[in-house]
Amino acid sequence: MVTPLGPDLDSFWSGLLGGGHALTAIERFATDDLRVGRGGEIKKIPAVASGIRSRAAALLVAAGADLRSRARLGAAPERIAVVVGTALGGVEELEHALGHDRTPRRALDALYDAPAHALAQWLGARGPALTVSAACASGATALGIGADLLREDAADLVVAGGYDVLCRFVLRGFDVLRSLTREQVRPFDRRRSGLLLGEAAGLVLLARERDARGPRLGRLLGHGSASDASHVAAPDPGGRGLEAAIRAALGAADVGGAEIDFVSAHGTGTLLNDRIETAVLHRALGPRAGAIPVNSIKGALGHTMGAAAALEAIMCWLAAREGLIPPTAGFEEGDPGCDLDYVPGSCRPARPRLMLSTSLGFGGCNAALVLGAA
Amino acid sequence: MTAEPKVGVRVASVGILTGWGRGTAALPPDARVAAAGRAVLPLARPALEGERFRRATRECLLGVEAVSVMLAEAGLDRAAIRGEGTALLFVTAGAYGPSNVGFIGARSGTLHFPYTAPSALSGEVAIEFGLTGAYVILVGGAPATIDALWQAGRLLAQGCCERALVLVVEVFEDCEALWRRARWTLPAPLVESAACALLTRGESPVVYGAMAGDAGPLERAVDARAGRTLAAAPLVALALARAAGEPAARLTGSWRGRRASIELAVGHAARI
Repeated sequence: MVTPLGPDLDSFWSGLLGGGHALTAIERFATDDLRVGRGGEIKKIPAVASGIRSRAAALLVAAGADLRSRARLGAAPERIAVVVGTALGGVEELEHALGHDRTPRRALDALYDAPAHALAQWLGARGPALTVSAACASGATALGIGADLLREDAADLVVAGGYDVLCRFVLRGFDVLRSLTREQVRPFDRRRSGLLLGEAAGLVLLARERDARGPRLGRLLGHGSASDASHVAAPDPGGRGLEAAIRAALGAADVGGAEIDFVSAHGTGTLLNDRIETAVLHRALGPRAGAIPVNSIKGALGHTMGAAAALEAIMCWLAAREGLIPPTAGFEEGDPGCDLDYVPGSCRPARPRLMLSTSLGFGGCNAALVLGAA
Repeated sequence: MTAEPKVGVRVASVGILTGWGRGTAALPPDARVAAAGRAVLPLARPALEGERFRRATRECLLGVEAVSVMLAEAGLDRAAIRGEGTALLFVTAGAYGPSNVGFIGARSGTLHFPYTAPSALSGEVAIEFGLTGAYVILVGGAPATIDALWQAGRLLAQGCCERALVLVVEVFEDCEALWRRARWTLPAPLVESAACALLTRGESPVVYGAMAGDAGPLERAVDARAGRTLAAAPLVALALARAAGEPAARLTGSWRGRRASIELAVGHAARI
């Protein structure tokens, strides 16, 4: 993985445990004309391969660096699949294609599925290569489809996860929607005033239980999705789609809401999202909801869009393995509408066995994952 | 390499709109000849009225229209698909392009940004028809639609839905200059398309393959008769197979060097 906290899993984990953040002034493109010019920017993407043209593909390939040798050893090329989620794909290439670079390659790189195919080619994977673009819920659905490919014997190994890069396109978009905060990102806090965006890529190597070799990070037990059918840009006020997605994921995992030990929330830090998500968790988890730790890592990284759910799943698995739940960076003061245990201040010793991760996105997309310890 | 879900799938209806017109009867015998040098065969913006569609893009309206055409082909009322029992699987290679180009060029208003997401199109369709079930949104060419058909079969087999809509929208006119840069790999004519297939549980198993060799006869037929429809091609192929009265179809598709295939029962229009 590559995140604003660093170029690998260790930096991601230690950064989250520390409770700080990696939200800085954006340096790579001009933001002078925007209300907000901060975000979770990766200052240097590790150079893993030559001939990779776009930043999105370079980020995705860098995130997969540790997986290539394991994937190649583990299955025949045609039995290795790639499933990645993204909200933006190669849209930064479109900015270039409409500007100075009029080459055919640049135009094709602007299509959202270009980075996934670049990753598949670099990995030597010749099985299914899928790009999921369900806005900010993309990473969760990608992991779920990856698991389905294994379950249905359409692949023996799947490199799955999500990515997105910061560019003017998306920063300007969220800026004009007035979704970005000029203050600290404070998920679930009484003073929360919006989100900041981040860029990242997170990938995992999925295998069937019987085929898994070497150390395991964790298990993907179930996933679910549901449409709000309510509004293109705002979540359903009642959170019906999110609740349906959670119940579908719990059902697929054959797990009851009361059995969940830890929730990685979408937790964007916007007024509406955090209140709706809290209410839905109360309903889905039942009377124990108040006793279940719930965190958001968006105060540390920003909202990494297509990468978010993949990073959050990895965080859950690390929490189970290491016996520590990272705090919600930025959360200090409770809110009457956000009354769960949001793991304030510092990391908490706990060893969750069953975990829930939630995601929401434009278009009324809602997705949930049920995750298990290794 | 194949995968066979335990429960079969049946195609209950297919609705097709292309730059040639509605349905397979509108397709010419030879798309290249009929195009007469035109690079793009466009689809008109559907005349859907109402305040709700005030900001909706042409692509979103084409998605709504494709579902309406599919329902009409099946003789179904929209109430037949409303609710959580219907899964929506949307596929496109580039229908988000016009929104993105418009936003980058600052030709669209500030509230337009959410429409740059591919999920805005399926979101508008979900709102219009009240679809609150599972969803999948894939970006890619014809293999992505084959992946979506397989996903629809999986959702049906696992009981995640009672019926599944596989929806494809492809538009080229607004970004014609960009598409023409890729004319070496995508020769004309590029034919705008909006298509929707309704799948239900059936007797015949789906056979899905990720590396299936050469183009099948239906893929070649779609290429010859419809031109380049990218992700819509497998649904056009389904419609051709149904029109020919075939009991089953083997769909193939290729994109960025990857070929996928799926075999499924074609069925005939019937009430669900």
